[in-house]
Amino acid sequence: MATSKQKNMTPQQRNYQQLQQKHEIKRPVLKNCIKAFFVGGIICVIGQAISYFYIYYFDFTEQSVGNPTVATMVFLSMLLTGFGVYDRLGQFAGAGSAVPVTGFGNAVISAAIEHRTEGFVLGVGGNMFKLAGSVILFGVFSAFVVALIKTLLVIWGVL
Amino acid sequence: MRSIHRWVLLACLLLLSSCDQNQQVKDSQLSLMKTTNPSPIVTQKNKSKDHVKDIEQDVSSFPELYDVAVVKGKKDTLVVYKVKHLYRFKMKKIEKDINKMLEQKYPDENFTISSDYKIFLETVRLDEKMKSSKYKGKKAENRFNEIVNMTKDLK
Repeated sequence: MATSKQKNMTPQQRNYQQLQQKHEIKRPVLKNCIKAFFVGGIICVIGQAISYFYIYYFDFTEQSVGNPTVATMVFLSMLLTGFGVYDRLGQFAGAGSAVPVTGFGNAVISAAIEHRTEGFVLGVGGNMFKLAGSVILFGVFSAFVVALIKTLLVIWGVL
Repeated sequence: MRSIHRWVLLACLLLLSSCDQNQQVKDSQLSLMKTTNPSPIVTQKNKSKDHVKDIEQDVSSFPELYDVAVVKGKKDTLVVYKVKHLYRFKMKKIEKDINKMLEQKYPDENFTISSDYKIFLETVRLDEKMKSSKYKGKKAENRFNEIVNMTKDLK
Protein backbone atom coordinates (compact mmCIF):
# COMPACT_ATOMS: atom_id res chain seq x y z
CA MET A 1 0.00 0.00 0.00
CA ALA A 2 2.68 2.41 1.12
CA THR A 3 4.95 1.61 -1.84
CA SER A 4 2.13 2.09 -4.39
CA LYS A 5 1.36 5.47 -2.80
CA GLN A 6 5.04 6.46 -3.04
CA LYS A 7 5.05 5.53 -6.76
CA ASN A 8 2.13 7.86 -7.45
CA MET A 9 3.83 10.79 -5.71
CA THR A 10 5.25 13.71 -7.64
CA PRO A 11 8.97 14.49 -7.10
CA GLN A 12 7.92 17.55 -5.12
CA GLN A 13 5.76 15.48 -2.79
CA ARG A 14 8.58 12.96 -2.37
CA ASN A 15 11.03 15.71 -1.49
CA TYR A 16 8.57 17.16 0.97
CA GLN A 17 8.07 13.79 2.62
CA GLN A 18 11.82 13.29 2.95
CA LEU A 19 12.13 16.74 4.52
CA GLN A 20 9.25 16.03 6.85
CA GLN A 21 10.78 12.70 7.93
CA LYS A 22 14.06 14.51 8.60
CA HIS A 23 12.41 16.98 10.98
CA GLU A 24 9.90 14.63 12.54
CA ILE A 25 10.42 14.13 16.27
CA LYS A 26 10.93 10.44 16.92
CA ARG A 27 8.71 8.85 19.52
CA PRO A 28 10.80 7.58 22.45
CA VAL A 29 9.19 4.10 22.32
CA LEU A 30 11.73 2.36 24.56
CA LYS A 31 11.62 5.16 27.14
CA ASN A 32 7.81 5.08 27.15
CA CYS A 33 7.85 1.29 27.56
CA ILE A 34 10.23 1.52 30.52
CA LYS A 35 8.10 4.23 32.15
CA ALA A 36 4.91 2.18 31.61
CA PHE A 37 6.64 -0.95 32.95
CA PHE A 38 7.76 0.69 36.18
CA VAL A 39 4.60 2.69 36.90
CA GLY A 40 2.37 -0.31 36.05
CA GLY A 41 4.61 -2.46 38.24
CA ILE A 42 4.36 -0.02 41.16
CA ILE A 43 0.55 0.00 40.84
CA CYS A 44 0.58 -3.82 40.95
CA VAL A 45 2.85 -3.82 44.01
CA ILE A 46 0.40 -1.47 45.76
CA GLY A 47 -2.43 -3.85 44.79
CA GLN A 48 -0.49 -6.81 46.18
CA ALA A 49 0.15 -4.92 49.43
CA ILE A 50 -3.56 -4.11 49.74
CA SER A 51 -4.52 -7.76 49.16
CA TYR A 52 -2.01 -8.87 51.84
CA PHE A 53 -3.52 -6.26 54.16
CA TYR A 54 -6.99 -7.76 53.64
CA ILE A 55 -5.69 -11.31 54.09
CA TYR A 56 -3.80 -10.35 57.25
CA TYR A 57 -6.38 -8.21 59.04
CA PHE A 58 -9.69 -9.55 57.69
CA ASP A 59 -11.18 -12.96 56.96
CA PHE A 60 -10.40 -12.95 53.25
CA THR A 61 -8.71 -15.93 51.64
CA GLU A 62 -6.36 -15.77 48.68
CA GLN A 63 -9.27 -16.50 46.35
CA SER A 64 -11.78 -14.05 47.78
CA VAL A 65 -9.35 -11.19 48.39
CA GLY A 66 -9.47 -10.10 44.73
CA ASN A 67 -12.85 -8.39 45.07
CA PRO A 68 -12.06 -5.94 47.92
CA THR A 69 -8.60 -5.28 46.45
CA VAL A 70 -10.01 -4.32 43.05
CA ALA A 71 -12.69 -2.19 44.71
CA THR A 72 -10.07 -0.37 46.79
CA MET A 73 -7.75 0.20 43.84
CA VAL A 74 -10.59 1.57 41.68
CA PHE A 75 -11.77 3.80 44.53
CA LEU A 76 -8.24 5.15 45.10
CA SER A 77 -7.78 5.89 41.39
CA MET A 78 -11.17 7.65 41.35
CA LEU A 79 -10.06 9.86 44.24
CA LEU A 80 -6.71 10.57 42.57
CA THR A 81 -8.49 11.44 39.31
CA GLY A 82 -10.72 13.86 41.21
CA PHE A 83 -7.65 15.52 42.76
CA GLY A 84 -5.99 15.72 39.33
CA VAL A 85 -3.07 13.47 40.26
CA TYR A 86 -3.94 10.46 38.11
CA ASP A 87 -4.09 12.56 34.92
CA ARG A 88 -0.49 13.64 35.45
CA LEU A 89 0.48 10.04 36.12
CA GLY A 90 -1.30 9.04 32.90
CA GLN A 91 0.64 11.65 30.93
CA PHE A 92 3.90 10.32 32.34
CA ALA A 93 3.27 6.56 32.22
CA GLY A 94 0.71 6.12 29.42
CA ALA A 95 -0.41 2.50 29.24
CA GLY A 96 1.30 1.78 32.56
CA SER A 97 -1.48 3.65 34.34
CA ALA A 98 -4.31 2.89 31.88
CA VAL A 99 -4.01 -0.89 31.59
CA PRO A 100 -4.28 -1.84 35.31
CA VAL A 101 -7.74 -1.80 36.89
CA THR A 102 -7.03 1.71 38.19
CA GLY A 103 -7.40 2.95 34.61
CA PHE A 104 -11.05 1.91 34.77
CA GLY A 105 -11.72 4.23 37.71
CA ASN A 106 -9.90 7.00 35.91
CA ALA A 107 -12.01 6.49 32.75
CA VAL A 108 -15.27 6.71 34.72
CA ILE A 109 -14.43 9.79 36.78
CA SER A 110 -12.67 11.77 34.05
CA ALA A 111 -15.73 11.35 31.79
CA ALA A 112 -18.00 12.42 34.67
CA ILE A 113 -15.89 15.51 35.38
CA GLU A 114 -15.71 16.41 31.69
CA HIS A 115 -19.52 16.40 31.25
CA ARG A 116 -20.36 17.93 34.64
CA THR A 117 -21.39 21.23 33.00
CA GLU A 118 -24.15 19.47 31.04
CA GLY A 119 -26.01 18.56 34.23
CA PHE A 120 -26.15 15.60 36.57
CA VAL A 121 -28.53 13.38 34.59
CA LEU A 122 -27.78 14.04 30.93
CA GLY A 123 -24.21 15.15 31.54
CA VAL A 124 -22.69 13.04 34.32
CA GLY A 125 -25.16 10.13 34.22
CA GLY A 126 -25.31 9.92 30.44
CA ASN A 127 -21.60 10.16 29.77
CA MET A 128 -20.04 8.58 32.85
CA PHE A 129 -19.78 5.14 31.23
CA LYS A 130 -18.93 6.40 27.75
CA LEU A 131 -15.46 4.83 27.97
CA ALA A 132 -15.88 2.34 30.79
CA GLY A 133 -19.24 1.01 29.55
CA SER A 134 -17.61 -0.95 26.74
CA VAL A 135 -15.13 -2.45 29.24
CA ILE A 136 -18.00 -3.60 31.47
CA LEU A 137 -19.97 -4.97 28.51
CA PHE A 138 -17.03 -6.91 27.07
CA GLY A 139 -16.04 -8.11 30.55
CA VAL A 140 -19.50 -9.42 31.39
CA PHE A 141 -19.98 -10.99 27.97
CA SER A 142 -16.58 -12.71 27.87
CA ALA A 143 -17.11 -13.96 31.47
CA PHE A 144 -20.44 -15.41 30.32
CA VAL A 145 -18.80 -17.16 27.35
CA VAL A 146 -15.95 -18.55 29.48
CA ALA A 147 -18.42 -19.77 32.13
CA LEU A 148 -20.48 -21.43 29.41
CA ILE A 149 -17.41 -23.21 28.00
CA LYS A 150 -16.34 -24.32 31.48
CA THR A 151 -19.82 -25.63 32.30
CA LEU A 152 -19.88 -27.64 29.08
CA LEU A 153 -16.39 -29.05 29.74
CA VAL A 154 -17.42 -30.03 33.28
CA ILE A 155 -20.62 -31.70 31.98
CA TRP A 156 -18.64 -33.61 29.32
CA GLY A 157 -16.13 -34.70 31.97
CA VAL A 158 -13.09 -32.99 30.42
CA LEU A 159 -12.39 -30.92 33.55
CA MET B 1 11.00 20.42 45.32
CA ARG B 2 12.04 20.87 48.94
CA SER B 3 8.76 19.38 50.15
CA ILE B 4 9.36 16.27 47.99
CA HIS B 5 12.78 15.86 49.66
CA ARG B 6 11.11 16.10 53.06
CA TRP B 7 8.58 13.40 52.14
CA VAL B 8 11.34 11.11 50.81
CA LEU B 9 13.36 11.66 54.00
CA LEU B 10 10.31 10.89 56.14
CA ALA B 11 9.59 7.72 54.15
CA CYS B 12 13.25 6.60 54.56
CA LEU B 13 13.10 7.27 58.31
CA LEU B 14 9.90 5.25 58.65
CA LEU B 15 11.41 2.41 56.62
CA LEU B 16 14.62 2.39 58.69
CA SER B 17 12.75 2.52 61.99
CA SER B 18 10.68 -0.48 60.93
CA CYS B 19 13.90 -2.43 60.31
CA ASP B 20 14.95 -2.15 63.99
CA GLN B 21 16.67 -5.42 64.94
CA ASN B 22 15.61 -5.28 68.59
CA GLN B 23 11.93 -5.52 67.75
CA GLN B 24 10.38 -8.88 68.46
CA VAL B 25 8.76 -10.09 65.27
CA LYS B 26 6.25 -12.90 65.39
CA ASP B 27 6.44 -15.58 62.72
CA SER B 28 2.84 -14.89 61.72
CA GLN B 29 3.71 -11.26 60.94
CA LEU B 30 6.06 -12.37 58.17
CA SER B 31 4.57 -15.73 57.26
CA LEU B 32 3.15 -14.37 54.01
CA MET B 33 6.60 -13.34 52.85
CA LYS B 34 9.19 -15.73 54.26
CA THR B 35 9.61 -19.39 55.06
CA THR B 36 8.44 -20.11 58.60
CA ASN B 37 8.27 -23.93 58.70
CA PRO B 38 5.99 -24.10 61.75
CA SER B 39 6.34 -27.13 63.99
CA PRO B 40 3.67 -29.83 63.64
CA ILE B 41 0.60 -29.10 65.76
CA VAL B 42 -1.67 -31.50 67.63
CA THR B 43 -4.74 -29.83 69.10
CA GLN B 44 -5.48 -32.64 71.54
CA LYS B 45 -3.57 -32.90 74.78
CA ASN B 46 -1.23 -35.82 75.54
CA LYS B 47 -1.04 -36.96 71.94
CA SER B 48 2.29 -37.71 70.32
CA LYS B 49 3.54 -35.46 67.52
CA ASP B 50 5.61 -38.20 65.83
CA HIS B 51 2.86 -39.21 63.44
CA VAL B 52 2.24 -35.59 62.38
CA LYS B 53 5.99 -35.09 61.93
CA ASP B 54 6.07 -38.02 59.51
CA ILE B 55 3.23 -36.47 57.49
CA GLU B 56 5.06 -33.13 57.40
CA GLN B 57 8.28 -34.78 56.21
CA ASP B 58 6.45 -36.67 53.48
CA VAL B 59 4.75 -33.52 52.20
CA SER B 60 7.98 -31.49 52.44
CA SER B 61 9.69 -34.03 50.16
CA PHE B 62 7.80 -32.53 47.19
CA PRO B 63 10.34 -30.31 45.40
CA GLU B 64 7.64 -27.80 44.36
CA LEU B 65 6.85 -26.82 47.97
CA TYR B 66 8.84 -24.63 50.35
CA ASP B 67 6.81 -24.21 53.53
CA VAL B 68 4.63 -26.89 55.07
CA ALA B 69 2.39 -26.85 58.15
CA VAL B 70 0.44 -29.82 59.46
CA VAL B 71 -2.25 -29.68 62.14
CA LYS B 72 -3.83 -32.79 63.59
CA GLY B 73 -7.28 -32.31 65.03
CA LYS B 74 -9.73 -34.72 66.58
CA LYS B 75 -11.12 -35.94 63.24
CA ASP B 76 -9.33 -34.06 60.48
CA THR B 77 -5.71 -33.45 59.60
CA LEU B 78 -4.97 -30.14 57.92
CA VAL B 79 -2.02 -29.92 55.54
CA VAL B 80 -1.11 -26.42 54.34
CA TYR B 81 1.78 -25.58 52.07
CA LYS B 82 3.26 -22.83 49.94
CA VAL B 83 4.16 -23.54 46.33
CA LYS B 84 7.35 -22.18 44.76
CA HIS B 85 6.61 -19.30 42.43
CA LEU B 86 7.44 -20.97 39.11
CA TYR B 87 5.36 -24.03 39.98
CA ARG B 88 2.21 -22.05 40.77
CA PHE B 89 0.88 -22.80 37.28
CA LYS B 90 0.63 -26.45 38.32
CA MET B 91 -1.19 -25.89 41.62
CA LYS B 92 -4.07 -28.27 40.84
CA LYS B 93 -1.75 -31.08 39.77
CA ILE B 94 0.41 -30.62 42.88
CA GLU B 95 -2.69 -30.73 45.11
CA LYS B 96 -3.86 -33.89 43.37
CA ASP B 97 -0.43 -35.55 43.78
CA ILE B 98 -0.19 -34.66 47.47
CA ASN B 99 -3.73 -35.90 48.10
CA LYS B 100 -2.98 -39.18 46.31
CA MET B 101 0.26 -39.74 48.21
CA LEU B 102 -1.33 -39.01 51.59
CA GLU B 103 -4.35 -41.21 50.95
CA GLN B 104 -2.09 -44.08 49.93
CA LYS B 105 0.29 -43.71 52.86
CA TYR B 106 -2.19 -42.83 55.58
CA PRO B 107 -5.53 -44.43 54.60
CA ASP B 108 -7.05 -43.98 58.08
CA GLU B 109 -6.61 -40.22 58.17
CA ASN B 110 -9.09 -37.64 56.90
CA PHE B 111 -6.98 -35.01 55.14
CA THR B 112 -7.85 -31.42 54.26
CA ILE B 113 -5.31 -29.88 51.90
CA SER B 114 -4.84 -26.22 51.07
CA SER B 115 -2.27 -23.94 49.47
CA ASP B 116 -4.07 -20.73 50.45
CA TYR B 117 -1.95 -18.06 52.20
CA LYS B 118 -4.80 -17.19 54.56
CA ILE B 119 -5.08 -20.77 55.79
CA PHE B 120 -1.31 -20.90 56.23
CA LEU B 121 -1.34 -17.64 58.18
CA GLU B 122 -4.14 -18.85 60.46
CA THR B 123 -2.25 -22.11 61.06
CA VAL B 124 0.88 -20.20 62.10
CA ARG B 125 -1.26 -18.00 64.36
CA LEU B 126 -2.81 -21.10 65.93
CA ASP B 127 0.67 -22.52 66.52
CA GLU B 128 1.79 -19.29 68.21
CA LYS B 129 -1.30 -19.14 70.42
CA MET B 130 -0.86 -22.76 71.47
CA LYS B 131 2.79 -22.16 72.30
CA SER B 132 1.94 -19.15 74.45
CA SER B 133 -0.68 -21.36 76.19
CA LYS B 134 -3.53 -19.01 75.29
CA TYR B 135 -5.28 -21.85 73.53
CA LYS B 136 -5.69 -25.25 75.03
CA GLY B 137 -7.77 -28.32 74.30
CA LYS B 138 -11.28 -27.44 73.24
CA LYS B 139 -10.52 -23.85 72.30
CA ALA B 140 -7.74 -24.92 69.97
CA GLU B 141 -9.94 -27.65 68.49
CA ASN B 142 -12.70 -25.10 67.81
CA ARG B 143 -10.30 -22.73 66.09
CA PHE B 144 -8.90 -25.64 64.09
CA ASN B 145 -12.41 -26.57 62.93
CA GLU B 146 -13.00 -22.95 61.90
CA ILE B 147 -9.84 -23.03 59.77
CA VAL B 148 -10.91 -26.33 58.17
CA ASN B 149 -14.32 -24.83 57.38
CA MET B 150 -12.55 -21.88 55.76
CA THR B 151 -10.90 -24.27 53.30
CA LYS B 152 -14.27 -25.78 52.45
CA ASP B 153 -15.56 -22.33 51.47
CA LEU B 154 -12.79 -22.15 48.88
CA LYS B 155 -14.03 -25.19 46.97
